[in-house]
Parts: sequence; C-alpha cells; structure tokens
Amino acid sequence: MDTILVIDDEKPTLAMFRLLLSANGYNVITAENGRDGLAVFERQKPPLVVTDIKMPEMDGIEVLRRIKQLDANTEVVVITGHGDMELAIQALNLDATDFINKPIQRLALEQALRRAKERIDLRRSKEDQVSVAVGEDASVIRFRGSLTSSSEPQLLDGFREAFALNQEKIVLHFDGNASVNGAGISILTQLLLDAGKRGNRVVIAGLPEHFKKVFRIVGITNLVDIEEAERNPWGEEAR
Amino acid sequence: MKPLGSISLKNKFFYSILAVLLIISLAIAFLARWILVSSLISELELRGSAIARTIAERGSGFMLDKNYTQLLALIFEEQQLKESKHLIAYIFVLDQDNEVISHTFTHRFPLELKLANPVPPEQTRSVQLLTVADLAAYDIAIPVKEGLYRIGTVHVGLNKDHIDQLVAALRTTFLGFLSLVIVIFFIMSHMLAKYITKPISRLTKISDELSRGNFDIKLDLGSIMERLDPFDCPAYANTDLSCPHFDGFATSRTSQESLPINSKSCRHCILYRKQTGDEVVQLADSFHNMVWSIKLYRRRLHESEEKYRTLFDNGPDPIFVVDSSDLHVIDANPRVIELYGYERDELVGTSFLELEPEHAGKSTATFAGSPNVNGCASFQKVLHQKKGGKPFFVNLHAGHITYKGRPAIIIAATDMTEMMEKDAQLIQASKMKSLGEMSAGIAHEINQPLSAIKMGSDYLAMMVERDWDIPKDQLHEVVSEISTQVDRAAEIIDTLRAFGRKADLVKEKLDINKPVKGVHSIVRKQFELDDISIELNLTPGLSPILAHDNRLQQVFFNVMSNARDSINEKKDRAPARERGLIAIRSFEANRRVVVEVEDNGMGIPEAIRDKIFEPFFSTKETGQDMGLGLAISYGIAKDYAGDIKVQSREGKGTTFILSFPAAA
Repeated sequence: MDTILVIDDEKPTLAMFRLLLSANGYNVITAENGRDGLAVFERQKPPLVVTDIKMPEMDGIEVLRRIKQLDANTEVVVITGHGDMELAIQALNLDATDFINKPIQRLALEQALRRAKERIDLRRSKEDQVSVAVGEDASVIRFRGSLTSSSEPQLLDGFREAFALNQEKIVLHFDGNASVNGAGISILTQLLLDAGKRGNRVVIAGLPEHFKKVFRIVGITNLVDIEEAERNPWGEEAR
Repeated sequence: MKPLGSISLKNKFFYSILAVLLIISLAIAFLARWILVSSLISELELRGSAIARTIAERGSGFMLDKNYTQLLALIFEEQQLKESKHLIAYIFVLDQDNEVISHTFTHRFPLELKLANPVPPEQTRSVQLLTVADLAAYDIAIPVKEGLYRIGTVHVGLNKDHIDQLVAALRTTFLGFLSLVIVIFFIMSHMLAKYITKPISRLTKISDELSRGNFDIKLDLGSIMERLDPFDCPAYANTDLSCPHFDGFATSRTSQESLPINSKSCRHCILYRKQTGDEVVQLADSFHNMVWSIKLYRRRLHESEEKYRTLFDNGPDPIFVVDSSDLHVIDANPRVIELYGYERDELVGTSFLELEPEHAGKSTATFAGSPNVNGCASFQKVLHQKKGGKPFFVNLHAGHITYKGRPAIIIAATDMTEMMEKDAQLIQASKMKSLGEMSAGIAHEINQPLSAIKMGSDYLAMMVERDWDIPKDQLHEVVSEISTQVDRAAEIIDTLRAFGRKADLVKEKLDINKPVKGVHSIVRKQFELDDISIELNLTPGLSPILAHDNRLQQVFFNVMSNARDSINEKKDRAPARERGLIAIRSFEANRRVVVEVEDNGMGIPEAIRDKIFEPFFSTKETGQDMGLGLAISYGIAKDYAGDIKVQSREGKGTTFILSFPAAA
C-alpha cells in the first residue's frame, strides 16, 4: 500500500482527503501546516506528497523546496487556487511533479496520483522514457514519466532518431502519466525551436488538460499543434 | 383744566395779558381815586380853615368891640374873594353864647345850623358834612380867641356840589388815560402772542406732515425760503458716507468711510443751519436740522433695510428666522419655499422642529436654550423633511439675532443631498476597491469550503459508483461536514454582501463588535496567509452606537489593511524577524465606545503623522493607491460624531484609536 502525505491547513479538507484516498487504497498521513508536514516527511519519507500552497506560517512552495532538498525523487503534487497558473508554474519550476486546482476534482486527483505512481514505478523499473516509432504519415516520439532535466539526453536522442526518419511531421506523444517541470519546459522549448528550424512540423499529443494550459501560458503552443487525445496513433486511452 | 387746555396758545397769551391788565387798571383806578378825592377834599378843607382863621384873627377885634358891621363886611369880603365864591357856600360867626352875630346868608339864617357843628373846648377845629335846607356843605368851625378866652366861633361852609364837580372832572380825565393804556396793551399783547405762536403752529403743521410720512414738505421756517435738492448733500446721495454735522455723536458710523469736514462741499453745509436770532429763530433752525437729520437717517435706514432684505430674499441658501422661545418659524426666504416645498404661509407659525423628524430638533432646541447670545453653531448632516415627508440632509448654521424686538435664531440650511450622494458614491467606490483587493482572498476563502464539499461529495459518488458500502460513521462525517461547509460559504457571502451594500439614510443602533467581527471573518485567513495573526479582544455588551454596520466595516477594513501593509512592508525590508500581529481591543470609557487596532508594523514617521488622514496622501507607490482609504474612514467616523486618533512609534508599530459616542 502506497503511503501518501497530505498537507493542508483546512481540517475539513484534510478529513475528506483521508476518506477519499483511503477508499482508493492509500495509506494516508496528514499534517495541518507546512512545518508539521516536513517533520512527518522526515520521519516517514513517503514517496508521494500532496500539499496546499496557500498556508500560514510556511507555504506550500517552501514545503516543496524543502522536500525536494531532502529527497529529489519525491513526487510532490501541489494544490493551487482555481486558475492560479502563476503559482502552478512557480511550483513546476521548483520540480513539483504535478498540480491540481481547487476545488479538487476527484478525477483530477486520481489521475494526478496515478501518474505520480506510474512515474514512481517507471523510475523503479529504470525503463526508457523515450521510444521512437514510425506512424502512417509521421514519426512518433513517445514519452513517459517526468520530463525533467534528467530526461534531457533521452529526449535529445529520441528527437535525433525522429529526424533521421525524415518525415516532415513529428508527433510528440506523452503518456498518460507524463509530467513536465520547469527545466523540462525549457528543454522541450529548445528542441521544438530546433525542429522548427529544420522544417519539421511537431504535434504534441496525449498531454493532460492542465499541462496544456501550462504549455499555452509558457508559449509552447505557438511552436506546435496540440492534438486532441482521441487522435493518438496507438488508439489507447490517453490519460 | 381741559377746556382751558384746548384754548390756543395765542388766545392764552392774549387773554391772560388782558386780564392782568384789567385787574391792575381797576386797582390803580380805585386807589388813585381814593387818594385824589381824599387829598382834594382835605386840601379844600384846609383852604376853608385858612379862610376861617383869617376871619377869626381879623374879626376878633370887631367882636370885642361889638362892631358887627365891620365883621359882616369882613366875612363878605372873604366869601367873595377871587374864586372862593364858588367854593364857599356860607360864612357865619357866633359869639361866646352861640348867638349868630354875623352871617352871609342872603335869606334868613337857618337856625339848625347854629348848633349843628359845635367845637369842643380843647379842639382848634371841627369839620362836619351838613345838609341844611337843600344845601349840602362841609361846615368848618374855628373858635375865635382873645388871649385865653374864647369869644366866639367862625363857621365856613364849603359847597359840596362844587367839590363833587371837581372830583368828577378829575375822575373822567383819569379813566380816559387808563383806557388808552389798556387799548395800547391790548394791541401789543395781540401782536406778541401772534409772533410767538405763528412759528409754533407752522412747526405743528410740518410735524403733522412729517409724521404722515410726507418728507417732501417745504420747510419754509424762518426767513430763508429754500428749495434745496437733498442730493446736493454727499452724505444723502451716498449713504455709506458719514456726515460731520449730523453724525457728530453717532459713533456707530465711525468705522464707515468718513467725509472730511473741511471738504469744500461740507464746510458750509447747505442743509445744516445755525442762524443768529432769538429763541424762535433758533427753534426753527433746530427743527429744520432735525428734519434733515431724520430725512438722512430714514434714507440710510431704508437703504440698509433694502440691502438686508435683498440679502435675505435673494441669498443662495434657505434661511429661516425662528422664535427663540417656542422655535416657531417667523420668517423664511424664497429659497426655503423652493427647497422644502412648503408655502410661506404654511411655514410661518409652525414649529421648526417639524422639519427635523429624526432628532426632533434636539440640536436647534439646545442652541436656542444656550445662554451665549453671541454664539454661532453648526449642525452637520441633519435629516430634514420636505413637504410630503421626503427626507433629505442639510447642514444648519444658526445664530442668535433680535428680530422685530424679539430674541430669535437665524438658521441657514444648506442642502447636502448632492454632497451626501457624492460622499456615498465615493464611499461606495472606495468600498468596491476594497472588495477588489479582497477578491483574491475571498476566492481562496470560498474555495476552502467548496473544496471540502467537493471532495466529500466525490467520495460519496465514488463509493456509489464502485458499489461499495459506505460505513455509517463515514457517511455521517461526510454529510455533516458538507452541511457545515455550506454554512461557512454562505456566511462569507453574507458578509460580503453586507459589505458591498449601500448604506441606508438612517443610522442604526449598532454593537461596534459586529463590524469588527465581520471584517475579521473576511480578512483573517488572508492575513494568516501573509503570516499575520489577528488577536481579538472584544468586550461584550458594549453600549450601542449610532452608525451603519457596513460603513464601519469599511473603516475597520481600511485600518486593518493598512496594518497588514505596514507589517508586510516591514517584513520586506527586514525579512521574518517577528510574526505579524494585529491586536484589536474594544472597550467603553467616558460614554465613548473605543476600538483600538494595534499593529507591530513599520510605524508612521512623525513628519507625516498629521497627513495620513488627508485625501490623496499615500505612502505607497503612485498608481498603487489613491490615498483615499483613511480620508474616507475619517469622514465616516466624523459622520457618526466619532474620531480616529493615531499613535505610532517608528519601527515598532502603530495604534489606531477609533472612538464613538455611546448612543443614549
């Protein structure tokens, strides 16, 4: 059973978290503020942390920073106010793996947690994040897990391989569990710019909805098209 | 006295002089007559006596010799001597035996004469008025003596008719003279009376005309007949000038522009007269000057009245004149009628208090009762009613005056409706700005319960979808939590709605803790996120104050926001030294309800402490803040007769002290 640490200054929210996550099979530990949360984290080292950002005394950003210092591999999902993308991006730059909006949708929460779990599993199995295949009219780069600075060499190789296939259209397909952090965004931006110079048309597919929003804000959508999930070449559920 | 009083002065003079004259004349006449007649008679008697003595001396010898012939000759001689013959009626001589020895009667001697006037032995003379046989005469008897012996008596009779004729002539002459004197005096007194009374009756006529208001009457008093144009007088033409002749003692005009007395036109005033002459002339001059003085002052008064009437009637503000004792309206200018909608007749006589429904005219009544008659008072934003009961706000300025001899109050009312609406708009605008500032925090605040609700309901949905059993205690936990959180969200929305609502006209009785708590509930969480905690120390059961809940919320919001900004600014300069703290206390002291808001922020530098309540004063960067928050807060507090004071120590923090009078 996976252990998950939830930090939120709202007791009612914490109570609901506990019910919902327990029902989903998680071992839930809670903390009412950032300081307590950190203390619990140091003691129990849970692989997964969900933290609210807006909290008195020590806010979620600070908690995220400290947790990443303690253990960079911890998956930290931050909870932001609805539509507060600035904070979300700030959190992503600090290597938060994912963010969810308040009020928390069950599906969004479940997806975020599932993706985080998959990423953890991926990391444990040491599987390749990137694989390249030839589709009907395009070369396809498939990406799984977190797009961070550590995934840069793999992604570079993947793009080189795709370029070698000599097809004009390149589809960059994110698996359902994919996540992008700040460093990942800058790597991706650079690669997409290179592809643009080479005359390739890059289409991004399979990206979770909230990451589409982030890509829109940071300007990646100006460089590429983002395909709707249904049109992904594998035909599988893109979540 | 009455009938005497109605007699004209002229006749009084005339008749009284005449009466005195007559009395004096009569007295003189009687006195003179008595003196003259008696002296004439005694003189004639003396003459008779002298004749008798002459006869006695010259005839004594004849008597001794008994030469009666000679004696007779003698007495006839004496009787016929000169004018004596008219005077002397008879002479006769008696011997010592009282026998007639000689007499001048041409007829028989009347014997009764012989002893009618005897001379007593020790006397030298005896005079007696006798009437003997148609003859009235003064008989003068003188004894004839030879040595010590009496040898006879001489009797001389003085003719009474002759004497009476003399007296009558004398009387006629005297009375004639006296009558002449009376006539002369009569004419003189008549003329004198006329001289004195004619100018007086002329003055009377002029006075009558003046009192009827006819000041254009010709003043033909005295010798000079003038036709002067009053506008030749500079002081008459321009009432602001003072006249050196007529204003000699009127000190009240000294402050006015004064015309120098040696100016060419005034050295010899054409209107002011001082002629040499008797009292009548002086009286006429004095009267003339008085009339001019009255004319001058009437004109000044008229102009002054007109001036002030114009000010009253055409003044831009509505003005009431109200009786001090019962506060009834005595007068009101046309602006009052315009503003209040009442006719003037409806207003005059009704109580001023009826216009002031809310406080029942307490302010005005208090002022009317104040002993300081020179004082002036202002009442801000008093609620008044127009005709028909429509309420509106006025500022009242009241002062004590004397109106038509009665103590009164003059009240100027300024319509504040537009100003108040602007105020309200400004306050509303500032409130909307505050709401805008709050919106992020409020969104967060509402998101919290929504989040919990969402998760709770999602949990239920998930369990149902998966067809899992929900443990009863968990089900209860979820639904009760959802209910609680819905209440919480509703409360936030209520507070927000109350805050955004426009205030009513009428103030409410309010526990000051209520707006404090309201604002606290909105900002608490937000402030906590800024790492600022709010410490509430509110005394329950404070006296209510008269105010508006949501306007006070705005005040407290402004003050707390400033406290937060100050703490945050301090934190930015020297990060995280101490936790931000805002301490709010409420208490009551000296019939005032006080709320203190203390922070441990930056503090306010001494130099700008006086300016913080000024509008458009801001320490924040241009564009970030209009600098209206505290100015508006101060204005709101003042509206409720409250006050905001500030104590601050730079670098240590600031305390805002808000105090309001407890409602009675």
